[in-house]
Amino acid sequence: MLDLAIFIQNLANGLLIGGVYALIGVGLTLVFGVMRTINFAHGDFVVLGMYGAVLFDLVFGFDPYLSLLIALPVAFVVGMVVERAILAPIADAPAESSLLATLGLSLIIGNLLLLTFGGEPRSVQVPYASDTVRIGEVNLSVVLLAAGAATTAMIGALYWFLERTERGRAVRATAENRLGAELVGIDTRRVQSFVFGMGTALAVTAGVTLIPLLFATPTFTGAIFTLKAFVVTVLGGLGRVGAAIGGGLLLGVVEVLGASYFLSEYRDAYGLLAFLLVLLLRPEGLFGKTVKRV
Amino acid sequence: MPSALRAEGLTVRFGGNVAVSDVSLALAPGEILGLIGPNGAGKTTLFNALTGYVTPESGRVSLFDRDITRLAPHERARAGCGRTFQTERPFEELTVLENVLVAAFLHEPRRSGAERLARETLEQVGLGDRADQPAGDLNLARRRRLELAKALATRPRVIFLDEVMAGLNPPALREMIAFVSELSRKGLAVLMVEHIMEAIVELSDHVIVMASGAKIAEGAPEAVMRDERVIEAYLGTD
Amino acid sequence: MRTHLLGLAAFVALGLAYPVLFPSALTIAITILLFVGWATAWDVLGGWAGQVSLGHAAFVGLGAYFVAIGVTEYGLAPWWSALLGMAVAAALAFAWGWLTFGLRGPYFTLSTIAFAEILRLVAINEGWLTGGATGVFIMTLPEPFGLDLFDRQTQYWLALGFAVLVIGIVVALSRGRFGYALRAVREDEDAAMAAGIDPKRTKLKAFMLSGALTALGGGLYGIVLSFLEPHVMFYLLLSVQIALTAIIGGRGTIWGPAAGAMVLIGSGEVFRTTFAEANLLIYGVLILVIVLFAPRGLVGEATRRAIRRRYAKRAQS
Repeated sequence: MLDLAIFIQNLANGLLIGGVYALIGVGLTLVFGVMRTINFAHGDFVVLGMYGAVLFDLVFGFDPYLSLLIALPVAFVVGMVVERAILAPIADAPAESSLLATLGLSLIIGNLLLLTFGGEPRSVQVPYASDTVRIGEVNLSVVLLAAGAATTAMIGALYWFLERTERGRAVRATAENRLGAELVGIDTRRVQSFVFGMGTALAVTAGVTLIPLLFATPTFTGAIFTLKAFVVTVLGGLGRVGAAIGGGLLLGVVEVLGASYFLSEYRDAYGLLAFLLVLLLRPEGLFGKTVKRV
Repeated sequence: MPSALRAEGLTVRFGGNVAVSDVSLALAPGEILGLIGPNGAGKTTLFNALTGYVTPESGRVSLFDRDITRLAPHERARAGCGRTFQTERPFEELTVLENVLVAAFLHEPRRSGAERLARETLEQVGLGDRADQPAGDLNLARRRRLELAKALATRPRVIFLDEVMAGLNPPALREMIAFVSELSRKGLAVLMVEHIMEAIVELSDHVIVMASGAKIAEGAPEAVMRDERVIEAYLGTD
Repeated sequence: MRTHLLGLAAFVALGLAYPVLFPSALTIAITILLFVGWATAWDVLGGWAGQVSLGHAAFVGLGAYFVAIGVTEYGLAPWWSALLGMAVAAALAFAWGWLTFGLRGPYFTLSTIAFAEILRLVAINEGWLTGGATGVFIMTLPEPFGLDLFDRQTQYWLALGFAVLVIGIVVALSRGRFGYALRAVREDEDAAMAAGIDPKRTKLKAFMLSGALTALGGGLYGIVLSFLEPHVMFYLLLSVQIALTAIIGGRGTIWGPAAGAMVLIGSGEVFRTTFAEANLLIYGVLILVIVLFAPRGLVGEATRRAIRRRYAKRAQS
């Protein structure tokens, strides 16, 4: 007999964790949409955010969320610099080159973290770590709720930016049709650096919201997040922000429900299997339009 | 005389647009068929449907009375269709000889035999002295000849030439015309899409004119050129 | 061809001389030789056929687990279980390729990561089969012709044999029909079809050969470690390391992957004292340098230059 309260509890947890996946996925998909680059270092930027919060905690002892005040602008600038120095020069090379370059970047970030912090898993203990809020029959963890709130705020801000600002329109135009955007006078190369900076900032935010929940390790955690980001974006259809949000929520729910009602050891495998099925059956994603080939 | 290539009622549709509409043609061994028409007339699509790169919605294609409608491009190549590409496509990372070798292996599975065939073919198109050059370094005229060599090394019985004359300077054009004429004299059936009228008139035994996906005229080159519908299609009188 | 056979002879000579010269440094040499074989095998698919896989650790793990479980559970001699592992690897490669070769570019690469990850999760969770996360120990091994397979010296010869076998296969195929079909498919599938080449079939054959050879090295790796953990065997970073070794050395060249393995594993060993476990840092830095400044890889750029120079010289005379 399926207990409704437990089911709702699981669903809520799935949606909240899925929100963070969505945030990670949105950054990856935004970069892919504009640059056609699959960023293998995306998960490492998430981990970079986690370690940033760890460092912040070590030095100041403040709440990780406060570290966003520094982490966000720094991440944005780092992302822009990386794009200019590494990705812009190989923009015309085969798609594989940028994949390999970001893979190299991922190895560099992970191993530099390893050299700095060592291989021990790190986390930040917050005082409200085990607090819960009771809504009806459901107990929601404060940490997860905070992550959900931060995710919603970031995605909301992103939507406002994309829909309401001049620069946001330039980003959308570039993603839609690069040549067309250039013809109407948009500097698409600047848009690219800008978008890569945004992608990095989104990943770092996700990392900061996750640090009270998860342990960070230098090389392994990054790979896992990159993989999850791929899963999220391919589930939704690469290159579309709205679809990545759907994909993220879906992955969160699939993982939590799969783990509670089937074999919990295969928690990570459910997402991967869904990913493979979508890749094979509908490469354009679950929420994507079917594009007729001409 | 048996026909080397025969197409009956070929129709190709992309989404809602008809790219090729009910086109039939026949080609005998040693014959040269010229395919002309304004840009967007569906020549290249017809070409791709005949060589297997595009699946027709209806109609059939046969090669020496063998139905090849359902065959994939590589199977048609094995059956005897050789083709060039409009934007010439050398395997850039390979040398000129290796490019032709790839094709020569089709009927000569051993290296020694394939290399002999490849070298002969290169001599034939006048690239013998370029064998060891990286193919990506060739100029346009030589790339065209390399395209031809690649098609010929598969020992085709029907050869499809997609605008092999375009962009050639007058001496190179004369050479190419002589070369194609020589191919047909050896009994090869030639289907050529071409914009250079000089080449069409001089070479073709037979011309098909296409406009908006349909065949609008067919016959001897001189007669077709005087056809009013053809002039209209090219000049676009409304 | 003659130069490649000479190269192979030189490689064998070096391999024969090494244990005499450095008898105390066999373990590192075994690692290098395994990576020479793996990277060269990876390159059949990734370089010659142009399909970048980031899941080859799956084949390493498959080969290793077949050997380990064969000997511990069924008393099967490692050479038979290695053959079995190769066959299963080829079958999996066939199935995988058949499903995914329709996907273009990065999607194939992504699917290989997921593929290896799923195998890793299976290896961790199906403890009845694989010993789970705690792993499997190989305690006893048969002694063919009185050879102790636990002895580093024996393992060294086996690793040398593996590396020479893989390079030999690539030398043989490089100038034949299959080798040219692979390169043609990599460069331009449409043009390859015009030459009568079936792209999907060609890529499938490459994937199967690549997977089977990698699994063979995996079986050997299992014996060398004699302790197998899913986290090591199916590790994403092992896949990445194999791929980058080949790419940095030079994709689609005969000696590139081997050179890559010697340079990277060798320098990894040198830097191990400086950088501790962060030895993959050098891969990250080098792949960036290669992508930005020498996309054909170390050996690839050198050969290209040599071909140009040779042609220029011949054209002058």
